[in-house]
Amino acid sequence: MEGLDLLKRDWKRLGDTCPKLSYQDIYELIHKKSSSIVKWLFVICLGEFAFWGLLTIFIPESYLEIYQVLNLKTLAIVAQIVHYLVLAGFLLLFYKNYQSISVTDNTGLLMKNILRTRKTVHYYIVYNIGMYILFTVVINIIMFLNPEMLYDMVPEAAEFPINESLFFTIMLISQLLALIIVSGLLYLFYRLIYGILLKRLKANYKELQKLTL
Amino acid sequence: MTKELEHQFIAEFERHQNVIHKICRIYTNHQDAHNDLFQEITIQLWKAYPKFRREAKFSTWMYRIGLNTAITLYRKRQKRIRTQAFDTELLKLEATEYDANQEAQLTLLYKAIHQLSDIDKALVFLYLEEKPYKEISETLGMSEVNARVKMNRIKKRLKKLLNP
Repeated sequence: MEGLDLLKRDWKRLGDTCPKLSYQDIYELIHKKSSSIVKWLFVICLGEFAFWGLLTIFIPESYLEIYQVLNLKTLAIVAQIVHYLVLAGFLLLFYKNYQSISVTDNTGLLMKNILRTRKTVHYYIVYNIGMYILFTVVINIIMFLNPEMLYDMVPEAAEFPINESLFFTIMLISQLLALIIVSGLLYLFYRLIYGILLKRLKANYKELQKLTL
Repeated sequence: MTKELEHQFIAEFERHQNVIHKICRIYTNHQDAHNDLFQEITIQLWKAYPKFRREAKFSTWMYRIGLNTAITLYRKRQKRIRTQAFDTELLKLEATEYDANQEAQLTLLYKAIHQLSDIDKALVFLYLEEKPYKEISETLGMSEVNARVKMNRIKKRLKKLLNP
């Protein structure tokens, strides 16, 4: 006997000679905590929802003065309400997708549902960044069209002469820098957290996808 | 979950636990990693047990959850992964049963299996458990034809390894 037949025979032997866990051992095992990637995904996703959802609460009042100056207060309030509605919608969708993850599904479907749950949060982040960019662009356009509005914002104590074009250049560069830094940090966060967590799953899903046709 | 359900699960699990041990043998090559994966699969089985409808056999249900955990849910703990040297230690071939040539062949085969992808390992596992291709394809979510083709390729590769 050789080759695969030998392997098959040894496989049977392996089954018979496995170490057997006692009733007590198994009892202890089932009371231990799981460390599955689904559990980690759930915790990380909730963290992200909390971060972006609560971000607006921690923005200082003074920062929001710009909306008042630019007559955008109503728009800002509406946007905030929409923001929370969207958050609720995403949370609902996330919960629904999370609930659909079942370990008794076939492997392909299980992977698909896990990746779909993660994508819900991904779209939520894209939405947040999108809104951030949109608001920045809108505010900049209004500022450029009505530069006199901005002078109201400069504290009276500042008695230095304001060079208009320099002022706008500095503003534009600082906004751009903020955007690059925030995007860079987010990118790193995604690469690191989701990279570690889902790299193997994604590779396996890709491989399995090729075999479903 | 009631104590009765817990007792029922443990009793059934105790009888069929070798299925899980064998999955762990295919997916890990170190005793710590083996125990780790075994623990995670057991927890997943217990979590899913209240919804187990007995439309399938307990062992079939175990295959599915066991493989899903090994391929998809299990998060390898990096610090515990060591080198290849554990293949022989873990598989402990019994010298009395095999001659030197057979022993060498088996060591080579198990080493080759450990180097396969997660999906291929699942295929080999179900093949060694003598599951029909229909069940293999349903468990993994691939087409039956592809399961057959892929398994044949793996078999060829393993044969070639023994007779280069």
